[in-house]
Amino acid sequence: MFAHIIRRILSVAFTFIVVSIIIFLMMHSVPGGPFDANDMPVSAAVRAKMMAQWGLDQPLHVQYLNYMWGVLHLDFGVPFQSPGETVVELISRAWIPSLVLGGSGVLIGAPLGILLGMAAALNRNTWIDYLTSTLATLGLTIPVFVTSMLLILIFAVWLNWLPASGWPQPNRWILPIVCYAAIPLATYARYTRSAMLDTLNRPFVTVLRAKGLSERRIVFQHVMRNSAIPLVTVFLPMFIGTATGSIFVEAMFRVPGLGAYFVSSIEVRDYTLQMALMLLITFMYCIAYLLSDIAYALLNPRIRVGGAE
Amino acid sequence: MTDTTVPVSAIPQRSPLWFAWRRFLSNKAAVLGGVILGILILMAVFAPFITPVNPEAQSFLTEALAFPSAAHWLGVDNLGRDFYSRIVYGARVSLTIGFTAALFSVLVGIPLGALAGYFGGRIDWVIMRIIEVFSVIPPLLAALLLGALTRGGYATIVFIAALFGWVQVCLLVRAQVKAFREKEFVRAAQALGASPWYIIRRHLIPNSIGPIIIGFVLAIPLAMMLEASLSFLGVGVPPPTPTWGQMINEGIDFMFFYWHLAVFPTAALAITVLATSLFGDGLRDALDPTLKGR
Repeated sequence: MFAHIIRRILSVAFTFIVVSIIIFLMMHSVPGGPFDANDMPVSAAVRAKMMAQWGLDQPLHVQYLNYMWGVLHLDFGVPFQSPGETVVELISRAWIPSLVLGGSGVLIGAPLGILLGMAAALNRNTWIDYLTSTLATLGLTIPVFVTSMLLILIFAVWLNWLPASGWPQPNRWILPIVCYAAIPLATYARYTRSAMLDTLNRPFVTVLRAKGLSERRIVFQHVMRNSAIPLVTVFLPMFIGTATGSIFVEAMFRVPGLGAYFVSSIEVRDYTLQMALMLLITFMYCIAYLLSDIAYALLNPRIRVGGAE
Repeated sequence: MTDTTVPVSAIPQRSPLWFAWRRFLSNKAAVLGGVILGILILMAVFAPFITPVNPEAQSFLTEALAFPSAAHWLGVDNLGRDFYSRIVYGARVSLTIGFTAALFSVLVGIPLGALAGYFGGRIDWVIMRIIEVFSVIPPLLAALLLGALTRGGYATIVFIAALFGWVQVCLLVRAQVKAFREKEFVRAAQALGASPWYIIRRHLIPNSIGPIIIGFVLAIPLAMMLEASLSFLGVGVPPPTPTWGQMINEGIDFMFFYWHLAVFPTAALAITVLATSLFGDGLRDALDPTLKGR
């Protein structure tokens, strides 16, 4: 068990380092540098001094190590699009709208999805099962910005019930939260349904029924507990998946969150911010997978007791 | 099952593919998805014959932003282009990118998956670590970044979609090869002195055709979504070429007064992605019933 976790941590750390090197090289391959001759008509000696001052004359691996050393101290540099603050300051300002909207989306979508999935599994091949499957397929296949567009058209343009975009007033949050909720709802409905069906077909459930246990106790005490493992492990990666989806929701609803800054950083070629956001999200994914793995190991007695996978 | 005596020779030999085909036909949603996908492909192929004008021609400037009518089935856009023609030509971009990217995903995924599954050990470890790297990079952000660095374009999008699409094919092929590696006929071939390369090419890959088809079909909607997303954010296929993502992005600016510019590309994209996914899911369930519901 302990060895298993250590092995996972090493593996994730290795992955993260590889990804950070890839991102660094990608950023470095961008044509043009800060002190190119046509941008900065200065003498060669001055340019060399500036390159040396910023460490740009050093070999690539030293530059990479310098950058990562800064990252370890939460120093990602200064975003080009708002030079008055550091990248960390910008992110700590911009992540609040993303967290409020994305977080409530997940908190609403995941339980609803679980309920739908349970209802579908317990009433197989009835209308509720078909409704759940349809919702799950729609939620997982249709891109977020299409859902957003349809919601805006229906509720803001035609029915005129809700504002189409904006951030501070809570009534502007409703539509984006619904969009965010679509993905966890679909994911959880599908996972819960298949996990519960899987468990319901196990022999031990037949034994419980033969023993005369009420259907309610079977479902809540035995089936749910045995179906919960995949639901727990899928939670964190999905949570971060909504962070990626936030790009579109925030672009559609004009919310000043992380996703919006990522899009504008691409338009204005704000490389420091792009790099920081990429590293941040990759890091969160790594942690999420690691935690899911550990949770899986803890929840699954076969691994908790047995050791290796 | 009735117990009448039928001479054995009278029962037609039924291949696994026949049963897969029956399973597929019994899945209404998948058949519907397949039919819609077929219609879309026909529309894309015969686009010049079913559209009145060139999608990039600004032939109707005096009627710019006109609503749908008999003359312009889906209206006219803000630059005086027939919107119906643009939507139909948009299917060309979406479908070709979807299919090409899926093809490249399969071409990369098959050999890597077969290598990892057959040899196991160190090769498997290396390939699995590569896959792990791809699983923690958020595909959309990376795609956006790559798109911005290379300034978008057709080939770039296919490349990016294949870059993230091969992983699934590779995993599917790896699992299948791993399962078949221990079978008697493979052992027999090994005992007869067949080289690993020969066994993989002659026995294991043909036996993985089910997972390969599944991987191919499931990669298509993902690539189409990626293209639409990138075009939507302005780093995809560059403007005069009509793409749905781009049209949706432009439609936002007009949606309060000229709803048709927002509704039709959105609907086109949603229908295409949904039909392809339903078709792919049905094909997966038909070819490999054990994967159902995953």
